[in-house]
Amino acid sequence: MPAHRSAYVLVVRVMGPDSAPGPAVPWQKVLWEHQPYPDNYVDQRFLEELRRNEGIRQYHYWAVVREAGFVGQQLSCVAIFITLWLYMEQGLLSPEKLLLTTLVCALLGYGLHQALTFQVESGCEPRTHLADLQSATLFLSFTFGFSPVLKTLTESVSTDTVYAMSAVMLLAHLVSFPYAQPSPPGSLSLNAALFASVCLASRLPGALHTFAMLSCALLVFALWPCLLQKLRENAPNQFIGVCVGVCLGGVGGLGSLSPGGAVLLALALGSVTLLCPLLLVRLQKQKDNIQGPWDEAEIHEDLSHFLH
Amino acid sequence: MVLKIFFPQCCNRADSGLLVGRWITGHDSAVVLAVIHYPFIPGQVKQYLQQVQAQSGVELSVLGSWSLPTESQEGMESFLRDLSTIFPQERWLQVSRQIGKTGFNCDVLNPAQNGRAAQREAKKKKGEEDEKSDGYAGHKGNNNEEEEKVIFIHYEQRNVMLSQLHPIENGVSDPKTDAPSELRQMFQTVASSQPLFFLDKYDDGPLKLTHWQSEGREASIIAELFKQASVPLCRLISWLLSIWVWVCNIWVFSLYPLRFLASKLSTCVQLSYRTEHMKTLSSPKPATDHTDFMRKATIMVSFLVDVALGVLLILWLYRDNHIPMLANALVPAADHVAKELEELLQWLMGAPAGLKMNRALDQVLGRFFLYHIHLWISYIRLMSPFIEGILWYGGLSACFGLTFALSLFSDMVALLTFHIYCFYVYGARLYCLKIYGLSSLWRLFRGKKWNVLRQRVDSCSYDLDQLFIGTLLFTILLFLLPTTALYYLVFTLLRLVVVLFQGVLHLSVDFINSFPLFALGLRVCRPYRLAEGVKFRVLCDEPGTALHLQMEMNPLKFNTVVQTYRTPTYSCYPKDSWATLVKKLFVGELIYPWKHKSTKTD
Repeated sequence: MPAHRSAYVLVVRVMGPDSAPGPAVPWQKVLWEHQPYPDNYVDQRFLEELRRNEGIRQYHYWAVVREAGFVGQQLSCVAIFITLWLYMEQGLLSPEKLLLTTLVCALLGYGLHQALTFQVESGCEPRTHLADLQSATLFLSFTFGFSPVLKTLTESVSTDTVYAMSAVMLLAHLVSFPYAQPSPPGSLSLNAALFASVCLASRLPGALHTFAMLSCALLVFALWPCLLQKLRENAPNQFIGVCVGVCLGGVGGLGSLSPGGAVLLALALGSVTLLCPLLLVRLQKQKDNIQGPWDEAEIHEDLSHFLH
Repeated sequence: MVLKIFFPQCCNRADSGLLVGRWITGHDSAVVLAVIHYPFIPGQVKQYLQQVQAQSGVELSVLGSWSLPTESQEGMESFLRDLSTIFPQERWLQVSRQIGKTGFNCDVLNPAQNGRAAQREAKKKKGEEDEKSDGYAGHKGNNNEEEEKVIFIHYEQRNVMLSQLHPIENGVSDPKTDAPSELRQMFQTVASSQPLFFLDKYDDGPLKLTHWQSEGREASIIAELFKQASVPLCRLISWLLSIWVWVCNIWVFSLYPLRFLASKLSTCVQLSYRTEHMKTLSSPKPATDHTDFMRKATIMVSFLVDVALGVLLILWLYRDNHIPMLANALVPAADHVAKELEELLQWLMGAPAGLKMNRALDQVLGRFFLYHIHLWISYIRLMSPFIEGILWYGGLSACFGLTFALSLFSDMVALLTFHIYCFYVYGARLYCLKIYGLSSLWRLFRGKKWNVLRQRVDSCSYDLDQLFIGTLLFTILLFLLPTTALYYLVFTLLRLVVVLFQGVLHLSVDFINSFPLFALGLRVCRPYRLAEGVKFRVLCDEPGTALHLQMEMNPLKFNTVVQTYRTPTYSCYPKDSWATLVKKLFVGELIYPWKHKSTKTD
């Protein structure tokens, strides 16, 4: 009888984590040692290592707006391009004028680009002027040579198909644009934009129109982001001003042709630039991430000690 | 233990004598080949056996004695028993037969038990008496030694000698690891013992034998004449062949363009194939074994059939003005084909089947192909006076065999439809280039690149120039794809039609070349020569005598005959499976669906 009682008492002691104080052996969070606790036992240190919303960023409204302005700017660029195309199609703009304007803008932009580069540093391997000239010659000759072929490409395709394809491609361009680092252009975004411009350009009445349109597309989609990147790095205030200017220009240009389009564009810009950051900041407060020792291990390698 | 004795049917009624044959190693059986009659001198018998053994390579030995007692020969029993002491052997068979009874009696004497043979005979007699009184049960108790049961298997000696057991083993298997089966050894023994069958009981030599030749010497005058005539014929053929081979090996013909052309023309291939055959036929050595003999015979028969069919064709062709009719029909037919092609191209240059083609490219391609057709028509018009002559001389080639005529026809079809082949190649190359370019530029569109080392697609950061030009080219290729694809499709279909027709011709040539007519004829007329196995029929199963079985040949089935004796040819077979073919068509690779195997020599 006494032996049974002591065994009974012992069992009660072991099984009671929240009522009676446990036995003298402290509980360790290991499984390789034989402990008098069951395997799924945890003491009052449960969930001590829970971390909530670690590494969460606090967004400030106007900083986000400033970044979103870049997205809006790109949207306006697309709108400007479409406007120019509409002008050419309706015959309101002659290809020579467009070509001339494009060339002048390109030269101006190139000058600005070089000025900004020299201003900051002249350290790491700038592209020589010769290389740039080579590239420019290559583009122009290639486009000029292929423009008759490009013109006939979509002759037999129906207009609706062409418009639909262009729209899809421009959307893809906007979605896949590398907003963080536009200077080496993302392949998909640039290619989609060029594809759309070829589709649209082949609808124009003449080969010269096609050539002009393609040069314009090259300027707007390939060269303009490089300049913007430089501006963003070196002159942030002017960058904001340029963005705003481009947005206004887009709305205005579209408005001269179709007011409905302008209204739509303005709405889109407003929502992207002003509404979405608001939503982001508001919703950020609802964020509830938990991290703890149950997450997968992440290896943070510090490679800097290899460099010494 | 059951002892099997293969006994030739021709010796069933032979006079008493010695049994000569072979013990089959590894199995409990013996093959009796002949019976040597009295009188004989044992020394001469041994000498003769050694001589024959040296000539044939078969381990002959005296198996035992055979007695068919007639009225004049009584008291032979003890004489026969004493013979066992003269000829040394493992076991001695004493086979005897009574006239009027069907069954044989056989006693097997082992050397250890030689002395007890007489005892056993006496016991047996006693046992028989007991059996009559006591019944069956007492019989067994009396015999202390094991009684060997003997089975006599009667075989038709001539048939077995000429027969070949299938599947043929050409001595490839190691005799130590898997010994040939009993039946195979028996067949080999009888077939190799030809030198034994030269001496007969009617000859004037020291020994008188009975075997299958005793029933009458078989000889055919035609076969003998043929054998005599074949030697000078072979010499003539080999001399002609050597001249022909010398002509073929003139250095002019070994230059690359001619050699390439010769490998493509099926007439030249067929010529070389037949030359190989003639070389096989005209070798002066006689056939060494069954396979060799069958191959030579098959080649000869197929060649003769080929020539006969060719002569029939010539007879039909050269009478009733068939050749001028054909020649006159040829040029209008070619014109008609060209006109159809032109109409097809005009249709393609418009809006074929409502599809939208790129006008500029359409016009370019259409004009290019039209010009080709124009060239080809002029070429045909140029050749038209010579066509009749060509047909006349070409038809003469059928005297070498129908296969030559068919190969020539196939070559002519290939030459006449050469323009279709050209169109197909242009269309296919253009399409293939386009598909290749498109797939590569599509990868560039997405910013990826093909890693040749790792054979996978990797991401890649391209330069601005590369991206720009790549996108332009991609757009151009994409929009021009439907036009090119349509031209490719049309010309591929045309080419496939021509290829199909040529394939039919080649298949029939191949069939004539390889069909084993001789083997089939042998199977029909002399079925015992191609044996798949044997069947046994019970002849006599009386208690007290041994069991007698009749062995008959089970001839080979017809489709096995065809499969085994097909001549290996440069057969045309489809090189690719259907799935590979469709994939190649889709990608634009050039397809050559019929592949020629090089001539196999065993």
